[in-house]
Amino acid sequence: MGRLVRAGLAAGAVTIFLALVGLIERFKDLELVGSQITLSLLFLVLPPFVAGYVVGRPRVERGERREVTRNEALTWGAIAGAVSGALVGAATVFADAFGIDRIRAVFIQATSGLIEILTFGLTPVVGALVLVALSAVAGALGGGLHLLPARIRRPVVSAVTAVLLLGFLQRIVPVALAELNLADEWLYFHAGGLTWFGAAVVAAAAVGISILRDRQGSQIRARLSFGGNGSGREGMDLGRLIALAVIVALLLAIPQLLGTVISDVLGSVMVFILLGLGLNIVVGYAGLLDLGYVAFFAFGAYTTGILTGGNLNSFQGITKPVVSADLNFYLAIPVVVVLAALVGVLIGAPVLRLRGDYLALVTLGLGEMVTVLVASPWLTPLVGGPSGMRDVSDAAIGNISFRDPKSFYYLALAFVLLALFVSRRLYGSRIGRAWTAMREDEQTADAMGISTTSYKLLAFAMGGAIGSLGGALFAVKIGSLTPASFEVLVSIQVLGIVILGGLGSLPGVVVGALVLVGLPGVLREFEEYRLLAYGAALVAVMVLRPQGLVPNVRRSRELQEEEVAQDAWAAGSPDEEAPAVETAAT
Amino acid sequence: MSANAAAPTPVLEIRGVQKHFGGLYALSGLDMEVHEGEIVSVIGPNGAGKSTLFNVITGIYEPDDGDVLYGGASIVGLRPHQVVKLGIARTFQNVRLFANMTILENAMVGQHCRSHGGLFGSILRTPGVRAEEQRIRERAETALAFFGRRLVGYRLDQPAFSLSYANRRRLEMARAMATDPTMILLDEPTAGMNPRETLELRDHIVRMRDEVGLTVIVIEHDMRVVKGVSDRVIACDYGQKIAEGTYDEVAHDERVIEAYLGTKAD
Repeated sequence: MGRLVRAGLAAGAVTIFLALVGLIERFKDLELVGSQITLSLLFLVLPPFVAGYVVGRPRVERGERREVTRNEALTWGAIAGAVSGALVGAATVFADAFGIDRIRAVFIQATSGLIEILTFGLTPVVGALVLVALSAVAGALGGGLHLLPARIRRPVVSAVTAVLLLGFLQRIVPVALAELNLADEWLYFHAGGLTWFGAAVVAAAAVGISILRDRQGSQIRARLSFGGNGSGREGMDLGRLIALAVIVALLLAIPQLLGTVISDVLGSVMVFILLGLGLNIVVGYAGLLDLGYVAFFAFGAYTTGILTGGNLNSFQGITKPVVSADLNFYLAIPVVVVLAALVGVLIGAPVLRLRGDYLALVTLGLGEMVTVLVASPWLTPLVGGPSGMRDVSDAAIGNISFRDPKSFYYLALAFVLLALFVSRRLYGSRIGRAWTAMREDEQTADAMGISTTSYKLLAFAMGGAIGSLGGALFAVKIGSLTPASFEVLVSIQVLGIVILGGLGSLPGVVVGALVLVGLPGVLREFEEYRLLAYGAALVAVMVLRPQGLVPNVRRSRELQEEEVAQDAWAAGSPDEEAPAVETAAT
Repeated sequence: MSANAAAPTPVLEIRGVQKHFGGLYALSGLDMEVHEGEIVSVIGPNGAGKSTLFNVITGIYEPDDGDVLYGGASIVGLRPHQVVKLGIARTFQNVRLFANMTILENAMVGQHCRSHGGLFGSILRTPGVRAEEQRIRERAETALAFFGRRLVGYRLDQPAFSLSYANRRRLEMARAMATDPTMILLDEPTAGMNPRETLELRDHIVRMRDEVGLTVIVIEHDMRVVKGVSDRVIACDYGQKIAEGTYDEVAHDERVIEAYLGTKAD
C-alpha cells in the first residue's frame, strides 16, 4: 500500500511541477487529436498513467518473480492514479482558496487560467473530484497494460505513440506533405492536430507495421536457430544492400521532401554530429574526458573564415583580419583540418599526465579560455572580437551556394559521411584497438607495448580534426561568426550527445544529435523548455539506459560485467576439468 | 645449472638497483644476472621487493640507483612500451586484462609493438595494412593456442571478463607471448589456481623455454612449481638477494629458511 501511495505522490508531484513551470497552461490549445485531446490533457494524465504502469509491474519478492493478477493490476494502478489526482486536486483547491495571485508572486506561471484547466472549468472541489477520477482511470489503464499479452500490447503501444507523435508534429508533417503536393485535409485540421479519421488511419497503419515487424522478428529468430547456412546469409546480404540503397535514396531526397525549415534544422544537427564524432574519438574511444571541446569548434569556424576571405566588423567599418587569405573553401578545409590536429596536439600535450576528473577540469578551463580569447582585444585584429567576423565563404561550387539550407544539407551530409567513415575505419584498426586498451587500463596498455603518449595525442588530434570540420561547416552555414556561438555550453551539449547516444557508438552520436539538437529545432513551441527537456532526457537515459540509446557493444558489456561475472561464478565454470586429485601432486 | 657455471654474457643484468618509496626501501642494492634460455625463480616473503624488481625491469618504475642492462645496454629510463619492444614481456600479480575486449583482441593488443599500420593506412585500409592485420590475428591465435584449447575456438570472441580465474591468468600469459618477446617475466602465475592447474602451468613454463625459446623469470610462492621449473633460484628479502643457487641449495640455506621457509623445507 505504501508503494502505491508513494508512486501516486511522485506522479502528483510531477504533475504539479509541470503545472507550475507553465507547461500545462502553455499547451492548452495544442490539439493533438481532434479538439478534445490537447497536450495539456496529456501532461495531466501521463504521470498517473506511468505511476499505474510502474506499480502494476511484475516484481521480484524474496528472490521469486511475482506476477500480478488482473484485479491487482487494475486496483493498484487506479489507487496510485487516484492518489496522484488527489494530490493535484488538493493543491488546486488550496491554490484557489489561498488566492492564486499570492501564489503567483512566487510561481509566476500559476495563473487563474491554470486553475481553470485543472478544475475543467468546474468549481474547485468538483473539479478536483473529476481530476481524481480521471487520474484513477489513467492509473488503471497503466496497470492494465501489463495484462495484455505482448503480441497485443506492442501494436497498441505503437499505435498510441504514433498517433500522439504525428499529432505532436503538426507543424512539420503538413509542411512536408504540402511540399510533396499531397492533400492533408483528411489527416490534419487546418493549424491543428490530427482529425479523428486521420488518427484512426495512423493507428491502423502503426498496428499493421508493428505486427509485421513482430512476425519478421520471429522468422529471423527461426532462421538463426536453424544455423546460418550460406544461402540464408546471401539473402540477408541482398536485403541489406536493398536497405542501404533505400537509406541512401532517402538521405538524398530529404531536403526535397521536407522543405527548407527541416533542412535547416538537419544542417545544425549534422554540425553537431561532426562535433559529436570528434569528441567520441577522444572520450568514447580513448577514454579522455574533454570538457573543452568547443575550442576545436571555434578554431575550425574562425580559421575557415580567415582562410576564405572573411571580413571583420570594426570601428573603422569592414576590415580584413591581420592574417587573411582568399582561398577556395575546398582548398582551405585541408589546411583547417591539419591545423586543428596540431592544436589538438598542443592542447593534449600539457594534459597528458592527467586522468579522469583532473583532465576534465583542466580541459574545461582550456575551453573557457577559447571563449575568452576570441572575444579578447588581443585577438580582435584577427577574429574581430565581440563584434565578430562576417563574409565567410559560402563554399560555392560554380553558382551553387551552400548557404541555402537545402544545398547546405548535402555539403554537411558529405562531411558527416566522411567523418563516420574515418571513425569507423580507425576504430576497427590497430589504432582503435590501442585506444580501447588504453581506455580499459592505461598502465597495462603501456606495459603491453602501446605508447600511451602517442595514442593520447593522436586521439586529441583526430578529435580536433573532425571537430574543426564541424566548425568549418558552421561558418559556411551562418556566414558570420561571433564569440556568442562558442560558449562552454557547446562542449557540454556535445558531450551530452555522445553520452546520450552511447559512448563509443557511431549510430549513437547520430541519434544523440537528432534528439538533442534536432528535436528542439523542430519543436520551436518548446523553445523555452528546451533546457528542462534536455536535463530530463539526460537523467532519464542515464537511469533507464546507462549504456546510451544505441550502445557500443563493449560499453554495454562493461555495465553488465559484474552481473555476468557473478553468474559465471554462481554457475561454476563447466569447461574446467574436475578438481585435481591430490595424488597428481606427488 | 649452478650459479658458478661459466656462462657467456648474461642477457639481463641487474646491478645494485635501489628503489625506495619514501622511507621504505623496496629494493636496496639488488644484484642478479639472467642468462639466455634460463628459467630463474625469484622467491621471498611478501614485501621482499619481488614485484618492485619486475616493475623496475619493465620500466614502470625508474630505479633510484643502480643499472639494468639488457643485452649489454642499459634500459633504465625507457618507458614500459619501449622495454616491451626490446623483447621483455610480463604478466601482473593481480591479473590485468582488458576486461571488455575479447580474448582475441587482448592477444592482438600484444602484437601492437610488432606492427606499424599508420593513420592513413588504417583509414584507407591499404593492402599492406590489411595483410598486417591478418598477420597480427594469426600471431595472436598462435599465442592463444599455446594453452591448448582453453582460449581458442568459440572463446576467441568472448569478452575477457567472462573467463575463469585460471584462464584469465593464461590469457595474460598469452598476451605477453603475443608481443614476440625473448624474455618473459611471470609474477605469481599460479596464484589462485587449484593444484591441478598449478601443475599444468608448471609444464607450460618449461614449454615456454623449450618450445618457444623464451628466457623466463618467475616470481612464485608455490615451492613445487619453483622446484619443478627452476634452473636457478634467487631468494630475496628486504630488497636484497640473500641466496642464489639450485633449488636444493637455496632451500637449505639458513638465511632463506629463516626469512621465508620457516622451519620446514621439504
